[in-house]
Amino acid sequence: MRSDEVRPWLATAARLLLGGVLVVAGALKFPDPAAAVRAVRAYQLLPEPLVAPVAFGLPAVEVVVGLALLAGVLVRAAAVATAVLMVVFLVGIVSAWARGLQIDCGCFGGGGQVAAGETRYLSETLRDTALLLVALALARWPHSRLALASRLEPATP
Amino acid sequence: MSTSTKKEAARQRIAAKRAAEAAARAAEQRRRRTVVGGVVAAVVVVVAVVVAIVVQTGRTSTAADAASPGNLSAGGNGYTFSVGTGPVTVDVYEDFQCPNCKAFEDAAGSTLEQLQQSGAVTIVYHGMAFLDSSRNDDYSTRALNAAAVVASDAGTAAYQQFHDLLYANQPDEQTGSGLTDDQLVSYAEQAGATGEDVATDIRDLVYGDWVKDATDQASKDGVTGTPTVFVDGTQLSDLSADGLRTAVEDAAG
Repeated sequence: MRSDEVRPWLATAARLLLGGVLVVAGALKFPDPAAAVRAVRAYQLLPEPLVAPVAFGLPAVEVVVGLALLAGVLVRAAAVATAVLMVVFLVGIVSAWARGLQIDCGCFGGGGQVAAGETRYLSETLRDTALLLVALALARWPHSRLALASRLEPATP
Repeated sequence: MSTSTKKEAARQRIAAKRAAEAAARAAEQRRRRTVVGGVVAAVVVVVAVVVAIVVQTGRTSTAADAASPGNLSAGGNGYTFSVGTGPVTVDVYEDFQCPNCKAFEDAAGSTLEQLQQSGAVTIVYHGMAFLDSSRNDDYSTRALNAAAVVASDAGTAAYQQFHDLLYANQPDEQTGSGLTDDQLVSYAEQAGATGEDVATDIRDLVYGDWVKDATDQASKDGVTGTPTVFVDGTQLSDLSADGLRTAVEDAAG
């Protein structure tokens, strides 16, 4: 197959990967809102009045962006939003790592403190970096197959 | 230049102009679609975020006049029970369902209580309840509520005894289904809480909102996992009996 035939399918795969991860990660944070608040607070980055709104609002953004990617609507904007989310998550994780906090990232619900030696900062950082690169690639080449709004997307040269 | 060539040139100019106009119209349409799409997307995101915040805030809010148990630590934050009068304060953050807390209690619990009985330390118990599940029928919350009922009814020594009974009989976090309310009532009796409302207060989760607030308070204290132990404000990293004894001796100076 020629590369210009393969690329849209790669973009579809990227959409499904990023969209699936975001929808699952966001949805898992809804059942226990008190735990979501504690997970955000554990990063010790936000002033207390912002903790709950971020704990409740961020999963909603994840789900909306994820659904847009899965459906294939506004793919480029959703890919850029995903990249921004990943940068935010990376800043949080790396700063917690640098400050020596013993926390779980709470990326897929749960979160909070873990015992010393049980932190997984390296794998969490590598995972989010990989997702960031996929999101950036999708923002550069958003044209994909099986997209709801494929006719609306301007053809990418 | 012949007439026909002039006409041909004019036709070409007109065609080029029309093509440019069509391209401009298409560009304008694309631009409008992008703007509309962007506005719709922004509205969807804002609505989703606002709805999520409103719904989840409602789910986490507790009554402002939530019932508080009696015999709380004097001068504390309203969510702790103190035992002993020693000069060194040992703050213990625990969840009754947490297996690492049981491990700490098995390893260092008796040492801690000896230190308290000998007058070296004051133990401040900070209960947390974050290991509720449908499998254990929200055991963390039921256990801490029951402990608060015991303290309220029979004092903090009874709380300590009940606390020890619950760790000695801790159900497995993964496979256990939590102690039943009947079991909690029976341990409460063993610990000396024999008031007539004890059983009802345990079953009705009379301090349910207080338990939620206590868990949130512990998180605000910077504690998000259990067990977390502070000896005179310094977090204890070695949770063994020796580690605890050494830290208390150092704190006592």
